[in-house]
Amino acid sequence: MRMDNKRKINESLIAFHGVSKTFDKPGEGRYEVVRDLYLNVQENEFLVLFGPGQCGKSTILNMIAGFEAPSGGELLCQGRPVEGPGPERGMVFQNTALFPWLTVMGNVEYGPKVRGVKKEERRKQAQHYIDLVGLQGFENSYPVKLSGGMQQRVGIARAYCSEPLVMLLDEPFGHLDAQTRYLMQDELTRIWQVEKRTVIFVTNNIEEAVYLADRILVLRNCPTGVKAEYQITLPRPRNYTDPEFLRLRREIDAVVDHTL
Amino acid sequence: MNGTKRRVAYGMLGIFIFLCIWHAAATLTNLGRIMPDPVTVFVRFFMAFIEPIGTKTMLFHILTSLRRMLIPYTLGGLAGVFMGVLMGWYRICDAAFMPYIQMLRPIPPIAWIPLSIVWFGFAEGSKYFLIFLACFFTIALTTCDGVHSVDETLVRAARMLGARDRQLFTTIVLPTTVPYIFSGLQVALGSAWATIVAAEMIRSSEGVGWLIVSGQDVGNMTQIMVGIVAIALTGLLITSMMRGVEARLCAWTIRGK
Repeated sequence: MRMDNKRKINESLIAFHGVSKTFDKPGEGRYEVVRDLYLNVQENEFLVLFGPGQCGKSTILNMIAGFEAPSGGELLCQGRPVEGPGPERGMVFQNTALFPWLTVMGNVEYGPKVRGVKKEERRKQAQHYIDLVGLQGFENSYPVKLSGGMQQRVGIARAYCSEPLVMLLDEPFGHLDAQTRYLMQDELTRIWQVEKRTVIFVTNNIEEAVYLADRILVLRNCPTGVKAEYQITLPRPRNYTDPEFLRLRREIDAVVDHTL
Repeated sequence: MNGTKRRVAYGMLGIFIFLCIWHAAATLTNLGRIMPDPVTVFVRFFMAFIEPIGTKTMLFHILTSLRRMLIPYTLGGLAGVFMGVLMGWYRICDAAFMPYIQMLRPIPPIAWIPLSIVWFGFAEGSKYFLIFLACFFTIALTTCDGVHSVDETLVRAARMLGARDRQLFTTIVLPTTVPYIFSGLQVALGSAWATIVAAEMIRSSEGVGWLIVSGQDVGNMTQIMVGIVAIALTGLLITSMMRGVEARLCAWTIRGK
């Protein structure tokens, strides 16, 4: 059993091995956000981390991205410890975090550009991902000129353009209106099916979780850890009103800790 | 009629009404004894381009003052940006220099005149010094604010995409700071130009400030007003030019507004 567990960790793309995270807030003392987390992410799976607001989901993502270091335990990416951010782990931010002084093209080609890819090559690459997210014709627009949904498409193209091993999406559609949100969920599914990547998607929206995921991990309130795990085998594209969809939705929702 | 045209039209109308009131007050009432009417002032102003005041024509006065302002303004701008970036980027520089800047900034340039004469003499040096002071502090502070305003998520995004420290500075910190630098340059341009009168109170024989000072010496009211008009119109011209440059360089913030 122990051996088996060890092997599984080595084979996973991302592995949390007893990871904990505490913050020292001046004047407020220690604050434990993640406790003893075990988690394996397989290649090309669409994993959704689902949990109540402020439960530490984003902290888990920030640790994978390398923005924050674990306080304890081991966090491995392809068997090596994560040390700082890098292009093999691409993040799509909740507030888009687009560079407002760059055009759509400028944003998408930023990654290859700072890594020294030649102009011709990176333009071709960026154009491919701009087309993929459906933004052809907007290459020279500035982000402020785009709608929220379009801005997040740029964010997705920008992360994709570094050809990461894993895409980290931190409630990327949280600020969008309901209609745009449905549309973007469809789009993300389509993009993911065209260009398979490992995706870790954080959300507090149960419908979104069931619609997108191969696997859902329900997270506990702070200090967080995995409370329940669901494999979602419904065929894509999924239907929000399908009886099986609704049943899963009810079942998972019942597990979530709704207390504040 | 679109918004911009309407704005300009209302602005022109306002100026016209003001000039009418001024003219009426100067010609129809006793106020004429202490104030020349606008027609006289503007005729003298435009005549001065052909007919010298003192030994020089108006264009020469304006260009002399512009040169006197632009040299120290450029130096003050460069030094201010450098200082601002240092203070914004390195906490220790902020701690070390900020108290001086906060102490020295409120002192009006005119207060430095006696010292600047002792230090730099009556020639151009002391004038440059005053104008340098008028712009340096403002630009340093706004630049520093700009560097501080860098969005932490953008830094994260850049690092995630593979940017190294030097690239973070050129691709994230600098673009964030440019609009701040420009607002500093804009304010500083105004104060530098306003300080020209003070600077030319130190011995000079030409320049728009000199027009006022020498007008006062000989009791020539029209010449004082001509000097004021020259400062006002040139000020308007250079700040508009500055806005034009800003609009080109900071297209993304201007469009965002």
